[in-house]
Amino acid sequence: MPEPATEKEPQLTKEQSEALGWEPRIVGFLCYWCSYTGADGAGTARMKYAPNVDIIKVMCSGRIDPELVLTAFARGADGVMVLGCHPGDCHYTNGNYKTMVRMPLLRRVLDELGIEPERFRHEWVSAAEGEKFSRLVTEMTEQVRALGPLDWPRLQRERGVGHGADLAAWGERP
Amino acid sequence: MGLEGDCANGVKGNQTPRIGVFVCRCGGNISDVVDVDRVVEEASRLPGVVCAMAHTFCCSDPGQGAIEQKIRQQGLNRAIMAACSPSLHEMTFRRTVARAGLNPYLFEHCNIREQVSWVIKDQEQATQKASRLIRAAAARASHLRPLEKRRIPIHPSALVIGGGAAGLTAARDLAFRGIEVILIECTPFLGGRMASLHRIYPTGRRARDVIGPLIDEVVNHPKVTVYTNAQLESATGFIGNFLTTVRLMPRGVNSECKDPEAAIAACPEECLDQFNLGLSRRRAIYKPYDGCWPPIPAIDWRSCTRCGACYEAAGGKGIDLNEQPRLVEIRSGVVVLAVGLDTYPVRHGEYGYGVFPEVITLHQLNRLMDPTGPTHGEITVGGHSVRRIGFMHCVGSLQHKGIHKPMRDGKINEYCSRVCCTTTMHTAAELKERFPNLQIYDFHEDIRTYGRKHENYYDQVSEKGVAFIRFDPERPPRVDRDPLGEAPLLVRTFDRLTFGEELEVPLDMLVLATGLVARDMSKLVDLYHCSVGADRFLMEVHPKLRPVEMATSGVFLAGSVQGPMDTTEATAAAAAAAAKASALISSAHIELDPFVAYVNEDLCSDCRICLTVCPFSAITRNEEKRVARVNEALCMGCGTCVATCPSNAIQQAGFEDVQVKSELMALISRPAERLAAD
Repeated sequence: MPEPATEKEPQLTKEQSEALGWEPRIVGFLCYWCSYTGADGAGTARMKYAPNVDIIKVMCSGRIDPELVLTAFARGADGVMVLGCHPGDCHYTNGNYKTMVRMPLLRRVLDELGIEPERFRHEWVSAAEGEKFSRLVTEMTEQVRALGPLDWPRLQRERGVGHGADLAAWGERP
Repeated sequence: MGLEGDCANGVKGNQTPRIGVFVCRCGGNISDVVDVDRVVEEASRLPGVVCAMAHTFCCSDPGQGAIEQKIRQQGLNRAIMAACSPSLHEMTFRRTVARAGLNPYLFEHCNIREQVSWVIKDQEQATQKASRLIRAAAARASHLRPLEKRRIPIHPSALVIGGGAAGLTAARDLAFRGIEVILIECTPFLGGRMASLHRIYPTGRRARDVIGPLIDEVVNHPKVTVYTNAQLESATGFIGNFLTTVRLMPRGVNSECKDPEAAIAACPEECLDQFNLGLSRRRAIYKPYDGCWPPIPAIDWRSCTRCGACYEAAGGKGIDLNEQPRLVEIRSGVVVLAVGLDTYPVRHGEYGYGVFPEVITLHQLNRLMDPTGPTHGEITVGGHSVRRIGFMHCVGSLQHKGIHKPMRDGKINEYCSRVCCTTTMHTAAELKERFPNLQIYDFHEDIRTYGRKHENYYDQVSEKGVAFIRFDPERPPRVDRDPLGEAPLLVRTFDRLTFGEELEVPLDMLVLATGLVARDMSKLVDLYHCSVGADRFLMEVHPKLRPVEMATSGVFLAGSVQGPMDTTEATAAAAAAAAKASALISSAHIELDPFVAYVNEDLCSDCRICLTVCPFSAITRNEEKRVARVNEALCMGCGTCVATCPSNAIQQAGFEDVQVKSELMALISRPAERLAAD
């Protein structure tokens, strides 16, 4: 099995990002039957929205492992969106309910890790809601832009937030 | 499942990737915004990419030919198409690569039209995004493996819901093609609304002479099973294999009843006859009309007091007053929805309806004109004969905001009900023929006799002296008692045909041409995941390209469940639905995407969490090996189990962790060359 065809890259510092004209990089995990079709609908209607959200298609939002969201944040995403069918509309009966119960837990984990809640969004977008999709994308982009780039390990260190940030290192006096 | 090793056409899935990237200009739809040449150039430098090219229309024959040629020439083992949405052409290009000898699942579709060129104005931003998406597709493509489609058998039977003209037509057509048909009807008798009509245009034949033979054909066909008094209880399954549970409500009478007429005569309870729309009374044990099917009576439980008089009169046989409902499970490959529609429920006081007994609906007039109806064909009101009759168009149709009161759900019926104008003209023509001295007034806002030969009825009644009065919807006609007592009713209106002259028209009877509205279909909508239009009727996938199919595969629309239709149109739609359904059934198999879950038994820790989250109960436990096992026939490919497995032991073919994560990594990593450039 060959290695992933992507090169390993150095993390940018905040200063470097700004010098490069930093743009929020957001990943959107979309279920194929509702939200992805909704996004297509926005395209068919020629709605204009921010180019920052890159879509990863999955068959059902139930496939979205919280681990994928964490990986995204850990490896360079500034924001993550999870979009699925409205409750009751799931093509697979109830996959979106599984997502619905996972995401609040994930939120708490993100909070523990010191990632601002505004960087993560879980919403329902039906196949007919192209307008809602384009609105969410633009909202999310502006929201993340306001926060600036996410550099996770540095963030924990500098701001003193996240899991264990209030604890002194072992052997050190408080 | 060809998950590992060689694929059928000899290309190994785990070879070093040789990726080809094909970028479509879509005749300018993409290339007007995205710098396609730059995208191609950038793609050609991606790891694993052997060649990249652009074409003006990749989906065209020359476009597909060029792709095929490139795959063969360069010995590609992966292909990426950057074009429109996968919902449009993913299947097209999977076939293209298959023709070039590649497994169709070693193909990745990248959406740079609906999600790039149509939504981003700025050329630089759009080009960057397109390049980024292609990069992700290439990263993912490296990890694709050859897969084979699953073939699921289709249960060779059809469930038809609704026993009216449309349902019967669909059932007959399906049965004549040799398909097992189960027809369910929620009332105790077949025939639907059509059985209570009098004569129908455009032939002028008696409705019962048309529906009767149709019922005979259906019920006598060996392939058809009919359940009357059947109510939908629950439904599961999907295309090819629906399982619908139906609750059969008690009829109270069965075929052993030797003397049904005596039983009916013995019943002491009387109630309004719904078949005659409340124009007459009937017993609690009843038959709606002579020649109905089934030929045995039914008991109306709301009126029956269970006194037992019918039981004794019938000789103690064939009547069961304590019959209980029972459940029947129906397995079918397809479902045909033919539940029809309702007439607009006229509001109390609307044009005097419910206030003056002389105001009736067009459907009620149909019952009066029927020689076997409550008045044996005489047009009378309260015993008085009628000399002046008025028709009021568009009652409950073409409603205007601010003028008409909304219905219970807050909506008004802005649409045209289509059949009422022609029915009115047709009825007026027959009345003029039967009663030449009858004076007929026609109050309308608009007249639409849209169908083939329908205009003839308008011409006929115009010649025979029907007076047409056109009102203004903002000043609708008012109906009152005639203060002079000359006639029971007096209609006051402004006539636009005489430039707003105010008219007073004394009438013996006013007939409201009521519109057509959708039934309450909440249960049906819920069970078969139907899409409902703003007008409350069910919505097809596409009005021109797929007019009788629902978005839920395997569910078809027959007739006026889809919108107001006359019998001609409803039966045509039903025949189309039957043709579509039988084409599906005769293909015997459906092909499903191979995106099923599979278990890596070495990693599975037998925690059984996946068993609990699977929406289709497709995962069971292999007791011997103590691992999870996926039933591929039941797995629908949602991937919920993959996200749940704590050991990463379950993967979904086509959406494996390594595939999704490499796509993710390619999207979020910032290219090294950009750093270097600065």
